[in-house]
Amino acid sequence: MERSYLGEFEELVLLATAVLEDGAYGLTIVSELKQRTNRSISLSGVHVALYRLEEKGLLSSELGGATASRGGRRKRMFRVTASGQQTLDNIRQVRNELYDAIPGISLSPR
Amino acid sequence: MNPNPQPPQWASRLLVAVCPPDLTEELLGDLYEQFMEEIAKNGEAKARRKYIIEVLKFVRPYFLTRKAETPAKTYVLNPYPSPFFLHPGMLRNYLTIAFRNLWKSKGYTTVNVTGLSVAFCICVFLFLVSYLQLTFDSFHEDRDRIFKTYFVSNNPDGTERQGAMSLPVGPALEADYPEIEGFARVMSGRKSTVEVNGKYFDKLVVMTDPDFFDIFSFKLLQGNKVNVLNNLGNIVISRNMAEAIFGSEDPMGKSLAVGSGSNRKDYVVTGVSEDVPSNSSIQYDALIRIENGDNYASDKNNWAANSHALFIKLPANVEHAAFEMRLKAFSKKYFAGTIKELREKGAKPDQFGDIFAVRLQNLGKVHFDREISGGKGAPIALIYTLLAIAFFILLIACINFINLSIARSFTRAREVGVRKSLGALKKQLFVQIWGETTMICLVGFLGGALLTWASLSAFNATFGSNLTFEYMLKPGFVMLILGVFAVVTFIAGGYPAWQMAKFNAVEVLKGKVSMKKPGILRNSLIVTQFSISTLLVCCTIIAVQQVDHMQSVPLGFQKEQVISIPVGNQLNGRQILARMRNTLASDPAIISITGTGVNLGKGKDRVSSRSIAGFKYKGKDVATDWLLIDFDYLKTLNIKVKAGRDFDSSFAADSTNRVIISESMAKMIGEKNPVGMLLGDDADTSGTKSQIIGVIPDFHLYSLADDRMPLTMHISGSESIYYILVRVAPHNLEGSLEKLKSVWTQVAPQTEFMGTFLDENLAGWYENERRLSQICSLASGIAIFLSCLGLFAIALMVIEQRTKEIGIRKVMGASIPGIIFVLSRDFVKLVGVALLIAIPLAWFGMQQWLANYPERIQLSIWVFAGVAAAAVLITFITVGFHTVKAALVNPVRSLRSE
Repeated sequence: MERSYLGEFEELVLLATAVLEDGAYGLTIVSELKQRTNRSISLSGVHVALYRLEEKGLLSSELGGATASRGGRRKRMFRVTASGQQTLDNIRQVRNELYDAIPGISLSPR
Repeated sequence: MNPNPQPPQWASRLLVAVCPPDLTEELLGDLYEQFMEEIAKNGEAKARRKYIIEVLKFVRPYFLTRKAETPAKTYVLNPYPSPFFLHPGMLRNYLTIAFRNLWKSKGYTTVNVTGLSVAFCICVFLFLVSYLQLTFDSFHEDRDRIFKTYFVSNNPDGTERQGAMSLPVGPALEADYPEIEGFARVMSGRKSTVEVNGKYFDKLVVMTDPDFFDIFSFKLLQGNKVNVLNNLGNIVISRNMAEAIFGSEDPMGKSLAVGSGSNRKDYVVTGVSEDVPSNSSIQYDALIRIENGDNYASDKNNWAANSHALFIKLPANVEHAAFEMRLKAFSKKYFAGTIKELREKGAKPDQFGDIFAVRLQNLGKVHFDREISGGKGAPIALIYTLLAIAFFILLIACINFINLSIARSFTRAREVGVRKSLGALKKQLFVQIWGETTMICLVGFLGGALLTWASLSAFNATFGSNLTFEYMLKPGFVMLILGVFAVVTFIAGGYPAWQMAKFNAVEVLKGKVSMKKPGILRNSLIVTQFSISTLLVCCTIIAVQQVDHMQSVPLGFQKEQVISIPVGNQLNGRQILARMRNTLASDPAIISITGTGVNLGKGKDRVSSRSIAGFKYKGKDVATDWLLIDFDYLKTLNIKVKAGRDFDSSFAADSTNRVIISESMAKMIGEKNPVGMLLGDDADTSGTKSQIIGVIPDFHLYSLADDRMPLTMHISGSESIYYILVRVAPHNLEGSLEKLKSVWTQVAPQTEFMGTFLDENLAGWYENERRLSQICSLASGIAIFLSCLGLFAIALMVIEQRTKEIGIRKVMGASIPGIIFVLSRDFVKLVGVALLIAIPLAWFGMQQWLANYPERIQLSIWVFAGVAAAAVLITFITVGFHTVKAALVNPVRSLRSE
C-alpha cells in the first residue's frame, strides 16, 4: 500500500479524532488539541485538516444530529478509517524504530 | 444582558459566501457552538470578536478554490446541470408551453384579453383627458416665474377674489417694481370680424402688450419676438389663420382690417405664431396691441374698470410670497379709496392684515381656479374623479386577472408539480408563469391601443373633447402608460405566479392542492370589484337624475320656439334690432322680437355675462341682477306680469328710468305693493331713481347650479344690446331659423349668423354635468361589464371543479333549482357584502355632491334598492348560466371518471 504523507498538524488532528472516538467533530477536536498541546488552534485550520484527511481516505464522516446548542444545525462526525488507523500505526512504528535507533544515550549497556 | 445573543450576521453571511455550500451547515454549527461557549466564559463582546476572527480565518485558498471545483462532485441530485433560467432554449420552451396553455383555455384567455383591452382603452381616454388638463399651460418655459395678478377684497360678507384687472395696474406695477421682467395684459373678449380683400372671417383677436412673447413661450414661426408687437398697427396671426386667409402666400407685411363700423382699423402682419395648443389658458387667433381697444383712451387711467387678465414675469431670484408682501405698498398707494370704503362698511383684514390686496397666482394654477378665471377653469376635483375612475376600472381588470389566474392555477398545479419534481427551480417557474401572464397583458394592451385608435373620433364626438393620437405619443404620456403596464403585469401577473411557484411538489402530485378552498383573497377581490362597480352605478344614476331634473325644472319662462342670436361686439345691436323689427314686422311666422344684454344659456358665441347692481334701499343692502332688455321681452319669453304692467313703447319714460322687478326682488326690498315705488340708492338725490312699473314671477335667468338672485329689468336707449331673441310660430321651426338667417345677411352682412334655439342654449348650462354623467355612465357600464366578465369566468371554473359534487347531489335527489341555489349562493353572498359596502358610500358621497346645487333631487331609496336588486339578478344570471348547464348534465357522465 502506498504510504500517505501527513503534515504534523494533520497528524495531530488524526490522532485527536482517534482519541475522541465517537465524539469527534470540529469543535471537540479543537478543544482536545488545545488542551493537550497548549497551542492556539483555530477552527478553520482544524476543518481544513479534517477535509484533507477525508479526501486522503484517512477519515470518514457523516452528518450527525442537530442540537439546539448549535442553532439547530447538524454536526459532521468524523471517524478514523481503517487506512487511517493503518497510517497511524505506520507512523508510530517508524517513529519508534527511529527513536530506538538513537545511539548513545540509551541506558541499556551495549 | 442580551437574553438571546446571536453571532454577527454579516460574518455568518460572509462565511456562507466563501464556503462550499455543502459545508456551511456544519461550520456555522461549530462556530455557533463555540460562540455560545465563549459567551459563557468571556462575555458577549469577546465572543463576537472571536467569532469574526474565526470567520475571517475561513477565508483561505482551501475553501475558495474548493468551492469552484467540487460542488458537482459531492452533492448532485440532478446529474444534468441546470441552465441559466433565461437560457434561449428554455425561453422557447416557455413560449411553446404558454401558447399551448393559452390556446387550451380559450375562454380564460378571451376573458382576460377582452377585459384588459376594454379597461386599457377607457383608461387611456380618461388618462389623456386628465393629462391634458393637468398639463395645462405647462409648455411655457418660465411657467414658475409667470404669475397672474388678482385682487382680494375682504368684504364684510366674505372674501372675494377677482382676476380682472384695470388698465393702469400693469404699467404701474412695472414702474413701481423695476425688477419685474415684463407684463402682458390679455384682453380676450368676443370674436371679431377680420376683413381681407372683401372676404370676412370671424377670428379671436386678443389684445395684449409687446412683452407677450417675452413672457410666454408661444412659438413665433415668422417675425422677431422682440419687436413683433412694437407698433400699434402690428398684428401677429396664428398659422391656422394665416393658412385660412392667405393660403400658401407669405402673410408677412400683408394688411388686414379688424373690427367693423367705427372700430374698424387696418393692421400689418408682422409675425406668424404656431397654433396655440389646446391646453393653454390663453387662446387666440391673432394678437394686437391693447391700446387699440375701444375704451383704452377713456379707461387707461381708470383704476376701477376691470376688463382683462394681467400676467407678470418675476426674475428667478424673487420669491413669490416675498413679492406679494411687497405689493402691500402698491395696494395702499393706488387703492386707498377702495380700502377706506371697505373699512367703513365693516370689512375685517385677513391673516395678512389686508382688506384689499393685489396678489399673484402662479400660471400653473390659473386653469384650475374658476373664481379668478371667471368661471373658465376646469375644477380639479373633476379631473381627480376621472383619474379615480380610470384607476378603479384598471383595478377591476387586474382583479379579474388575479382571480382567474389563481383559480386556474389549481388546474395547472399538476404541471407545476411535475416540473418541480424534474428539477425546475422556483424562479424558473415564476418566470415562466409570469411570462405567460405578461404575454396576455401585452396582447390586451395592444388590443386596447387598437380599440382606442378605433374609437377616438367617437369619443371626441360624444364628449366634446379634441384628443388626438399625437398626444398619446408624448414622452410623459408614454412613460405613464409603460408605468401602468409594468404595475399591472407586476401585480396581476406576479402575484399568482409567485403563488404557483410556491406549490409543494409532493402535495400537488398527491392531488391535494386542487382541493383547497377558494381563499379569502379571491372573495375579497370579488367584493372589492362589485363594491366599486355598484358605487359607480349608483352615482351615475343619481348624477343623471340630477342633470335631468335641472333640465326639466320649470324655469319661469317658455323656452320653446325662441331663437337667440348673438350680435357680437362689433355691430350696434340696437340698430340691428330695429332693422330686424322692420323687416319681419308683417311676417306671420314671427311672433315677437326683442333684445337683451344677457343670453339665456350658452349660444354659439360661448359667452355668458352677468351684471349685478348693489345699493342701499331705505337703509337695506340690496343686490340684484341688473338686466338690460327691450320691449316685448316678456312677450317673447311668455312671462306673465303679476302686478302692474309690461314696458310699453308708447310711454316715453319706459325706456329711461322705469324698471320691472321680480317677486323675490320685491321681497328683498320689503315692499308688499312695489308698483309705483322709486328704486335707487339712498344717497342718490338727483331724481334719477327708477320707478317700478311691474312685478313678474321669479324666473331662472342663469343656470340652476347658480343661486337665483332677485332681478331688476330695465330698458335703455344707450346701453348695448348683445342678443336678439325671436319667438317664432310653433310650426316649421327649422324654416323659421333659415328665414332669420337670410334676414341676418341683409341686416348684418359683415358677421356670421349664430342663432340657436333657446332650449339648446339652456342645455349648454349643464354641459359639465352632462359630460361628467356621460363619462360616468360609460365607466360604470364598463365596470359592471368587466366585473360580470370576471364573475362569469370564475363561476365557470368553480363549476368545473364541482362537477362531481353536482352529479352526486343529483343522484341523491336534489332538484335542479336546488342545485342552482346552492351554487349561486356563495356568489350572491359576496355581492351582498359588496352592496353593503358600496351603498352607504354612494349615499354619503352623492349627498355631498348634491349639496352643490340649489335645485336638487332628493335621494331616493328606490335607486339603491333597484341597483341592489339588479346586482343580485345579474349575479344569478351570470352564475346561473353555467350552473344550469352543469346541473342538466347527466350525472352518469360526470361521475363516470375515476
